[in-house]
Amino acid sequence: MNFEIPNFLPAVPEMFVLGMACLILVIDAFLPDSRRDITYGLVQATLVAAAGLTLWMMGPETVLTFSDTFVKDPMADILKVAVYVTSFLVFLYARPYLMERGIHKGEFYILGLFAVLGMMIMISGHNLLTLYLGLELLSLSSYALVAFWRDSTRATEAAMKYFVLGALASGLLLYGMSMIYGMTGSLDIAVIAAELTAADESLNIPLVFGLVFLVVAIAFKLGAVPFHMWVPDVYDGAPTAVTLFIATAPKIAAFAFLMRLLVEGMGPMHADWQGMLIILAVLSLAVGNVIAIAQTSIKRMLAYSTIAHVGFVFMGILAGTDSGYASAMFYVIVYAITAAGGFGMIVFLSRKGYEADQIDDFKGLAQRNPWFAFIMLLLLFSMAGVPPTVGFYAKLAVIQAAVGADLVWLGVVAVIFSVIGAFYYLRVVKMMFFDAPKDENAEPVQPSGALATALSINGLAVLALGIFPGLLLSITHYAIIG
Amino acid sequence: MITLEHYLVLAALLFSISVAGIFLNRKNVIVLLMCIELMLLAVNINFIAFSFFLQDLAGQVFVFFILTVAAAEAAIGLAILVLLFRNRGTINVQDLDAMKG
Amino acid sequence: MTFELILFYAFGAILLGAALAMISVRNPVHAALFLVVCFVAAAAIWLLAEAEFLGIVLVLVYVGAVMVLFLFVVMMLDINLAKLREGFTEYLPVGVVVAAAMATVLVLVITRYITMEVPERAGPEYANTEALGAILYTEYVYPFEIAAVILLVAIIAAISLTMRKRPDNKSIDPGQQMAVSREGRVRMVSMPSEKKRAPRRSAQGSGSGASDDDASK
Repeated sequence: MNFEIPNFLPAVPEMFVLGMACLILVIDAFLPDSRRDITYGLVQATLVAAAGLTLWMMGPETVLTFSDTFVKDPMADILKVAVYVTSFLVFLYARPYLMERGIHKGEFYILGLFAVLGMMIMISGHNLLTLYLGLELLSLSSYALVAFWRDSTRATEAAMKYFVLGALASGLLLYGMSMIYGMTGSLDIAVIAAELTAADESLNIPLVFGLVFLVVAIAFKLGAVPFHMWVPDVYDGAPTAVTLFIATAPKIAAFAFLMRLLVEGMGPMHADWQGMLIILAVLSLAVGNVIAIAQTSIKRMLAYSTIAHVGFVFMGILAGTDSGYASAMFYVIVYAITAAGGFGMIVFLSRKGYEADQIDDFKGLAQRNPWFAFIMLLLLFSMAGVPPTVGFYAKLAVIQAAVGADLVWLGVVAVIFSVIGAFYYLRVVKMMFFDAPKDENAEPVQPSGALATALSINGLAVLALGIFPGLLLSITHYAIIG
Repeated sequence: MITLEHYLVLAALLFSISVAGIFLNRKNVIVLLMCIELMLLAVNINFIAFSFFLQDLAGQVFVFFILTVAAAEAAIGLAILVLLFRNRGTINVQDLDAMKG
Repeated sequence: MTFELILFYAFGAILLGAALAMISVRNPVHAALFLVVCFVAAAAIWLLAEAEFLGIVLVLVYVGAVMVLFLFVVMMLDINLAKLREGFTEYLPVGVVVAAAMATVLVLVITRYITMEVPERAGPEYANTEALGAILYTEYVYPFEIAAVILLVAIIAAISLTMRKRPDNKSIDPGQQMAVSREGRVRMVSMPSEKKRAPRRSAQGSGSGASDDDASK
């Protein structure tokens, strides 16, 4: 039997994160409840070190290892760094929330770190099997995180709903994968692409058939309309610290999953999946933006806004050009950073016994604390796509890509729904600056510690990236085109 | 001779039954979890059939991992179910009125 | 009709029948048992496709562990059977229509467009377990490691979600029982010997006074 020891080097960040996660798990088991900060510090240090490792090993070449089940390319490296940064912010924002509610437990960070590992595996997956296993590692950790506040009935219900729909989506995904495997005879992404190019007409229908299952499953996982029913309930029911997590970094991994599966693997069938993604994108843009207007809970509003953002990411990918993929990647990274700030703001305003998850809770924020009202303004502007924040360039790049692929009408639809969407973001801005606080005696918001600093930096970053969009644009361009 | 179609049709029927089960037992979480297991079983039959007819073991390896993941999934799903029962005293989805669709 | 085909139809019929029974019975315990029948029938069908190892794994791991877990949970929870059935008939038409449509499309596509030649049966020297093991630990070592991590996450999640210290728990801790020493239980208290035999009532009083004294020390 011929077997060569695989090259472990490209997977060093994964191995490091796994090793640290196991180590922290053991350390955490021996810590008293009052010393949970050690777990927190170790997890954050792991993310920083992993970012260092990934950046240090970054290279322009594509390396395959572990019998081609693992790939390391510029896109993987950059997306992994984006995942580390987003997760770092999330843990930082989540800590005060958990401490105030007496649920500051090690499991939150450890499961979070395992979810990060799952995302890394998805990003570097080069085989249907590794893509699936990475997705499941992420999903299983997320289900547990949503249910993690055990005394909260709402969180438990949200977890159950998330679990059932997530498991159903996995079933559909696997059925699609089995069809693709049967028709191409391989699980390897590159071999699948080669087989599809060579495949004759007679295989077309079963392949499209498998593709439908794949796309529906991805739509379920990403929460694209019409498979979005669970998103608002889960985002609303989960503790804000967990919503913060599941709404941000996993979207970056999901983008990578789409790229590996549809673009790299099923690339030769672009004409077939383009149509499906167009339907999902248009519906997501429409439903997400319109229904968000009717929401009174800011968590539900941001959930619908996420659905609309997913529509934009689909738009970039379905264009089928390198600039389209780069624009979608730019969009998803910008979205993750902005959404982390948005949900972080809810955490910032909430106190024990007061969740600040209603839009009304933001009324008169400018009087209570002008600086953080300004930060929230920047974040909302970025989500709405108002220049000069970075959200504007993200939307612009995606729409340009769609127009470049001769889908002018899709670009027009996106612009129309963005304008409708701007309404509900601006409504919150109006409430913050022009309405009186809901409670006349509302005390001024006292900024506290690391959370306030990080939120300020996050808000200003959205502005700075908007003033100098060239840097991030060229990074994503490099990741896709080289 | 058992042909590929035999296996695939069997898996397709099983898959459809599990989808029907998910529709019918929407209010009964525990049977819902069993329907998901049934769905994975259908997928596994597909993979094993393709693996045999392609004479390629990769399909069987995939099934091996699906079984592993499904076991882990069942453990987490049942843990959430137990938690739900403790918090609400019921596992009837209809009673989960804290959420509006 | 060959013997193989008869076996296939027999086990296929059992599988589909048990699946239909599973989704429609009233009692979740019966549903779990029907699912066990499904797994056993499926394992037999996998044997026909030369997947012996997975067939036995399905019976050992799935029937032996996962389904037992299911049964355990079903019996542990006090489930109101009548309530669970609500909505069953309400959803029946939709469910049947969707499933029938899906089955029709799936079967049509499969029978029309997918055919493959039936391969030769492997000889008696072929060992499925060995072949699977040889690639599992070499070619698929990376997925294998990920699967291990997934199981670890399942352990962490299940424990952290369900383990709790019950305040009303009266169970005893053998460790504490073993650690008991004489000093922890008995204390010698020196008292002046009593001269006169006191009346019964006051003796009781002084007795309880002494024990109060004890407790406060």
